[in-house]
Amino acid sequence: MAGKDEEYDYLFKVVLIGDSGVGKSNLLSRFTRNEFNLESKSTIGVEFATKSIQTENKVIKAQIWDTAGQERYRAITSAYYRGAVGALLVYDISKHITFENVERWLKELRDHAEANIVVMLVGNKCDLRHLRTVSVEEATEFAEKNKLAFIETSALDASGVDTAFQRILTEIYRLMNKKQMSAGGSSPTPALGQGETIALSSGATDKAGSRSKTACSGCRT
Amino acid sequence: MSPPQSRTPPPAPPPSSARQQTPGSSSSSARGAPPPPHADGAGLQSRPSFRDSKYSEILGADVVSLPDLRRLAWNGVPPAYRPTVWKLLCGYMPANRDRRAAALARKRREYAEAVAAHFAAAADAARSAQEQALLRQILVDIPRTAPDAPLFAEVAAVQRSMTRALYVWAQRHPASGYVQGINDLLTPFYVVFLGEHVVGGEGGGAGAAAAAAAAALPEEALKEIEADAYWCLTKLLDNIQDHYTAMQPGLQRMVLRLEELVRRIDLDLHAHLAAEGVQFIQFAFRWMNCLLMRELPLPAIVRAWDTYLSEEDGGFESFHVYVCAALLCKFSPALLRLDFAALVLFLQDMPTRAWSEADVEPLLSQAYILSTLFENSSAHLNVTS
Ligand SMILES: Nc1nc2c(ncn2[C@@H]2O[C@H](COP(=O)(O)OP(=O)(O)O)[C@@H](O)[C@H]2O)c(=O)[nH]1
Ligand SMILES: [Mg+2]
Repeated sequence: MAGKDEEYDYLFKVVLIGDSGVGKSNLLSRFTRNEFNLESKSTIGVEFATKSIQTENKVIKAQIWDTAGQERYRAITSAYYRGAVGALLVYDISKHITFENVERWLKELRDHAEANIVVMLVGNKCDLRHLRTVSVEEATEFAEKNKLAFIETSALDASGVDTAFQRILTEIYRLMNKKQMSAGGSSPTPALGQGETIALSSGATDKAGSRSKTACSGCRT
Repeated sequence: MSPPQSRTPPPAPPPSSARQQTPGSSSSSARGAPPPPHADGAGLQSRPSFRDSKYSEILGADVVSLPDLRRLAWNGVPPAYRPTVWKLLCGYMPANRDRRAAALARKRREYAEAVAAHFAAAADAARSAQEQALLRQILVDIPRTAPDAPLFAEVAAVQRSMTRALYVWAQRHPASGYVQGINDLLTPFYVVFLGEHVVGGEGGGAGAAAAAAAAALPEEALKEIEADAYWCLTKLLDNIQDHYTAMQPGLQRMVLRLEELVRRIDLDLHAHLAAEGVQFIQFAFRWMNCLLMRELPLPAIVRAWDTYLSEEDGGFESFHVYVCAALLCKFSPALLRLDFAALVLFLQDMPTRAWSEADVEPLLSQAYILSTLFENSSAHLNVTS
């Protein structure tokens, strides 16, 4: 169906995962439609949205699958990990338990996703300063230990949201480029190849230099 | 339970205009129909009609004839009779008039005891980690169950009541436990049973008037509604329990049946979805998990449930699949023009959200026609068994 849609150079499939109620659906609606809903219904199964961004002179279309957080739905939702090249693993900075469960979500990814999926840890609801129970330090440390990129966001006031998506998509693009070059090919296929495990924050791949760890600016105390 | 051959309803009569003005509803109804037989019932809002008198006749019997009631209710129940009719059709209230009061009192007491055992008594600290997770999940979902309906979004007492009912249900059904979406399924019962306590209200809405009425209800009345809703939800879910157990096999089965049905009814649509790479599970999962409650507004759902509850067995399972098929095929012309992304976006946000009761009736009729066409071959539709 090429041509029907707007033009794009690459199509990347990204999944949103994490406990229910942490704000995945609102991150998605904020990013794709600039909408926030204080009371949105729970996600059943999966929901889908797309948005194109520009990075390094390429148009990248993100096909984003937002998943239900509840345990019972894992059988259904994990099917959507297949073919995903990126995952935003979201927790709620005001609910420590959702951060504790990140470990379990990583295991889900290890079990069901491609080995080289790019994972970004997202601490959402950073507008809830006074209710914070997960410190930036704690999350940063965890992210480093697990070689994840890390960012804090607020779907409510929009801080960090575009940056999070922009950064993960750019990272996927760079890794894909690098992979293609090292393979000596110039195949236009957007899918990352099998084999080596690529971690986003492994430093060497991040041309911008700094390790990816960003607390949303409004949230530092 | 009942012979499979006796399909309950007459094929739904032609469009609603003809139906609402039932034969015999001449204006010479000066005598009026007797009021609905439930004890604390609201008065009839609309003028007594032939249909109303049919209801009072059937419901007024010493032993209600369920087959007769099903046949009548299949085509929609007037709001004033709905609380009684639903409780009867759910199998919650005895058909035998003499046994009703005692049976309801016993069920309500039993529920109150379950609340005391599972909910009230246990201080937060006494809950196991698993119970805490359960409660947390329910508390996350309750305020966002029906954010547009003041009855559920704004009345704290109703939210607390639903929290208890869901928690107790989950505790007593450990094979499935609470699964997101079951909270949606509780709401029609609250809407309908609240209607029984609101005199001159909007007859079972979930809007501002219903919210005000609910907020003003004496605690005892809300407790009754809660217990009744709990038991009717239990009856509903008993029939579809494997929709919510691990791996949700019942639900997967329904999705497969839907796909098979659509392949037979509308081959072009089926082929188009396949060519675009849209899998039925991608959109129909929610249709089954929430019984279309995310696709249709509450009044339309309440009307649809009149019919579902009137189906002898499997209204919420087999008949629902026909309704889903009718729904999908209704939009076939539009769907055939869409590509993958547009298809998924359309199907997860259907233009049916603004539908009224009247919009849902042709869908039910269509589903009925499909069911008579395919019922006999339903064995073949059991793709996996
Ligand atoms: N304060 C605040 N609330 C949020 C934020 N993101 C989501 N929420 C709220 O958290 C609740 C759950 O959000 P939702 O997006 O449905 O979470 P999901 O279950 O992970 O998809 C809703 O009431 C949202 O309004 C945020 O950044 N800040
Ligand atoms: Mg969600």
